[in-house]
Amino acid sequence: MRIVVVAEHDGTAVRGASLSALAFAQSVAAAAGGDVTWLVLGHQVDSVAQDAARFAPVLVVDSPALENPIAEPFARVISTVVKERGFELVAAASSTFAKDIVPRAAAQLGGAMASDVVRHELVDGRLQLDTPRYAGAVTATVVLQGSPQIVTVRGSAYAAAQPSGETHGVERLELDSAVFNCRGSYEGLKSKQNARPDVTEARVVVSGGRAFKNAEDFEQHVGGLADALGGAAGSSRALVDAGIAPNELQVGQTGKIIAPEVYIALGISGAVQHLAGMKNSRTIVAVNSDPEAPIFDVADYGLVGDVYKITPELIEKLESHAVGLSR
Amino acid sequence: MTTQSADVIIIGAGVAGLSTAMQLALRGASVIVLERERIGNGSTGRAAGLLGQLRGNVEHTRMLIDGIEIVRQLEKTTGTEIFVQTGSLRVAETPERAAEIASLVAMGKSIGFDIEHLPASEVAKKLPYMRTDDLLDACYCPTDGHLQPAELVSGYLKVGKDCGVQYKTNSPVIEILHSGGRVQGVRTAEGEYHAPKVVNAGGPWSYLNAELANATLPTAAIGHYYLTTRPDPNHPVDRMSPAIRDRELRLYTRPESGGLIVGIYDAEPDQYNMRKLPVDFDMSRMKAARDSIQVARLLEAANARFPWIDERTPMTITTGIMTFTPDARPFCGEMPDLEGLYHCAGFSGHGIVQSPTIGLIMSQLILDGQSSYDCESIEADRYFELPGYMTRTDIEQLCFDMAGSYYTKIEKATPVASGHA
Amino acid sequence: MKILVPTKRVPDTDQKITATADGSGVASDHLPFVVNPFDAIALEEGVRIVEKLGDDSEVIAVGIGEADYVHQLRTALAMGATRAICVECDQPLDPWNVARLLKEIVLREQPDLVLMGKQAVDDDANQTGQFLAALLDWPQATFASRIELLAGEIRVDRETDHGIETLRLPLPAVVTTDLRLNEPRYASMAGIMKAKKKPLDVIPVAELGIALEPRVEVLRYHSSETVRRGERLRSVDELVERLRQDVGAQA
Repeated sequence: MRIVVVAEHDGTAVRGASLSALAFAQSVAAAAGGDVTWLVLGHQVDSVAQDAARFAPVLVVDSPALENPIAEPFARVISTVVKERGFELVAAASSTFAKDIVPRAAAQLGGAMASDVVRHELVDGRLQLDTPRYAGAVTATVVLQGSPQIVTVRGSAYAAAQPSGETHGVERLELDSAVFNCRGSYEGLKSKQNARPDVTEARVVVSGGRAFKNAEDFEQHVGGLADALGGAAGSSRALVDAGIAPNELQVGQTGKIIAPEVYIALGISGAVQHLAGMKNSRTIVAVNSDPEAPIFDVADYGLVGDVYKITPELIEKLESHAVGLSR
Repeated sequence: MTTQSADVIIIGAGVAGLSTAMQLALRGASVIVLERERIGNGSTGRAAGLLGQLRGNVEHTRMLIDGIEIVRQLEKTTGTEIFVQTGSLRVAETPERAAEIASLVAMGKSIGFDIEHLPASEVAKKLPYMRTDDLLDACYCPTDGHLQPAELVSGYLKVGKDCGVQYKTNSPVIEILHSGGRVQGVRTAEGEYHAPKVVNAGGPWSYLNAELANATLPTAAIGHYYLTTRPDPNHPVDRMSPAIRDRELRLYTRPESGGLIVGIYDAEPDQYNMRKLPVDFDMSRMKAARDSIQVARLLEAANARFPWIDERTPMTITTGIMTFTPDARPFCGEMPDLEGLYHCAGFSGHGIVQSPTIGLIMSQLILDGQSSYDCESIEADRYFELPGYMTRTDIEQLCFDMAGSYYTKIEKATPVASGHA
Repeated sequence: MKILVPTKRVPDTDQKITATADGSGVASDHLPFVVNPFDAIALEEGVRIVEKLGDDSEVIAVGIGEADYVHQLRTALAMGATRAICVECDQPLDPWNVARLLKEIVLREQPDLVLMGKQAVDDDANQTGQFLAALLDWPQATFASRIELLAGEIRVDRETDHGIETLRLPLPAVVTTDLRLNEPRYASMAGIMKAKKKPLDVIPVAELGIALEPRVEVLRYHSSETVRRGERLRSVDELVERLRQDVGAQA
């Protein structure tokens, strides 16, 4: 099977999530036979191509039209290269970048696409793909019909590919200028590097409860742990009522109802009101001084103790272990 | 299979069951609470918790006033605020409602209760986010407010646990054991629990629990809706803003997290057949349809009193199930056909605020055989074998009619009031 | 202005979702069906745009599915859609075929803007909007958190992994909506009453002349593990270890 992996990058190097997509592709190639090639798109991306070449052979399309990520030219470039080179499988990371452009390319290639692949298996020559549905409550095993097949791959499901130890070739492609046509224009990116994500969109949410006595302590502990994990800060209703945490942080029946991948409840007893807002989280961690607190009933991991002592230690140790979501 | 024994088994870990368990345990009884799902996750978990002490019935008022004392003790024990004393306001936009308020104020004053008429101009000062130009009269009770349901549950639970109450969740009762007209215990999937006294505090499931003992409990499950607005800087709602009751519009309100809870006692509420709900039904997952007629009527009524609230207002809609009875009063105590089975259900939207004293009353009835309160109006056997109150069809119609007219009946409270109004 | 809002009818995912015992699908007998929440956001945005324009602009809600889909389309009408189209189809559809059918509707209706949810909360595919844009060869903006109408153009803020990206697109275009774009309304009394009289066209799928081409064959469904581990840890070090496994692995 001839496989191409769309390399997502930051202008200098390939992003970690794409290395997971590469690992998926290499695993499929190992089972089905075939080869894996990177496709690097962008403008002035020599260093990205060099970085990618440490892992696999590279095709590069370099054009001023690809300076900013706009679906129209990116998708057309991908579908053109896939058709010209006869790729049978296209893989990319499950990122907002890929989820914007790759399905558009997929439609230009016949529409056989699976999103967020978390597992695969080659059975009787057919590639079976596990894709989460219903926010992960159910997993569907699917087979795509038609060629090429297009997939996005969950970074969490595949460990990043390692450099192969040799430097692979880099081939620059020249495409017809019509491929780069674009009717939209890019007006900029407001980075949110300094702002925490919203509780409804974060993959990790750290929430504080009644144990925190004032806004400074809340920020230091809850905010600090959220930052250490690249996540959002949330709050129980009690702190919002007491004016310690702002309204928009409230998680619960009358606040935001969320289901992040990891929810960490610091000093939250776990009233029904609160549980209604977070009990569908994938993994729940609870820290509370009361060993009988109901939050422990819904927690995957519970630690009994004073959040004022535990949280600083946790932040320090997490930072020294470099645990987090950003690579 | 396990077999356990206790002095009292309580079916249901909502506020009624939890309060009863706490009071029994405080007096040294051994208690096991069996909850079909999770603690406080039924009607309790969806309640707004409004506490208006002044009722048409003086004894009910006394129960509510005494309940606040119990809550104050719980607050001391747990170190958390349960009762938020915001004060409350009742408004009248018709002469009938104004007369109702006049009689309520007179009745309140006759028992020394703190209640005052408040002219519309004063109401406007207190509640800048409310329409007041159509008001004929209003009355204000500074000692009213609301109980925070979650904190109340935590309080009952903490004291109960300290006194040795055992709570078993995800343990639906599938059989009530009895022999020779006496209750002997209950059975769950895990085994038998033996006790000479069993309390049916099953809320909307209470009539099904009664049926397990071949008894008829005239309660019915009635849907209810309230909205909670998101905080809006243009219409700030202080957390100590008074609760409001507008019976003409069927509305009640209270502050919540910088926004406003507005609930409605709808004229044609949803009815639920609890038997048809899934075994693992989780009330906290109930959701209103985007085109729910009840929500639409709620929005319409809310807009009439709070013109800044309409369908575009950012809000959460909460819906849940209440347990109504034909006269909107609970059933507390035994019935003649089965000794030792005590009912404690049917609070008709007032379970949170009645629970502190009801727990005390139940513990008295169970341990002493009588209560220090006059329980005539809440006796469990008041409809026992009464024609017209015996089939599910009749009961559901009566309860539905009561729920639908609950807020709109004109109360006739008098300074020497007795009986329900 | 003419805005087309394709919607999907999905089980209410606030309820407990499990696979059927034989793995052939999802146990949905007890589940209420709702308009896909992201599509409700798209619908709300369309209604707000039309309310703001205050002219004869219209929002057309589209649904493809079995005959009782009309219930969800009445909901859309009650929420403010001007009219609705129900494409009656009892075949299971994957995003490719939904997009192909929607393309036919777009060619018939000639809207200026297609607004739809970024994904449906049942299959979570996040494909159909992009597919449709490609098939129409229209510009697209996915994951919109703000939409601004300009003369013959729109400016869209997009929620991406790296921040808010702003795009300007000429119309017609396809925009898919993210969670923070708005909070969809509950219908008003007037909305519910008017909905009964609004046009709701039912089109048999055969009338669109599209032969279905299945692209995704689902072999089986299985429920994901949701049992809480309930593990009591003894130290912060143990917690760091668990977070390293769980959080680190989910990056």
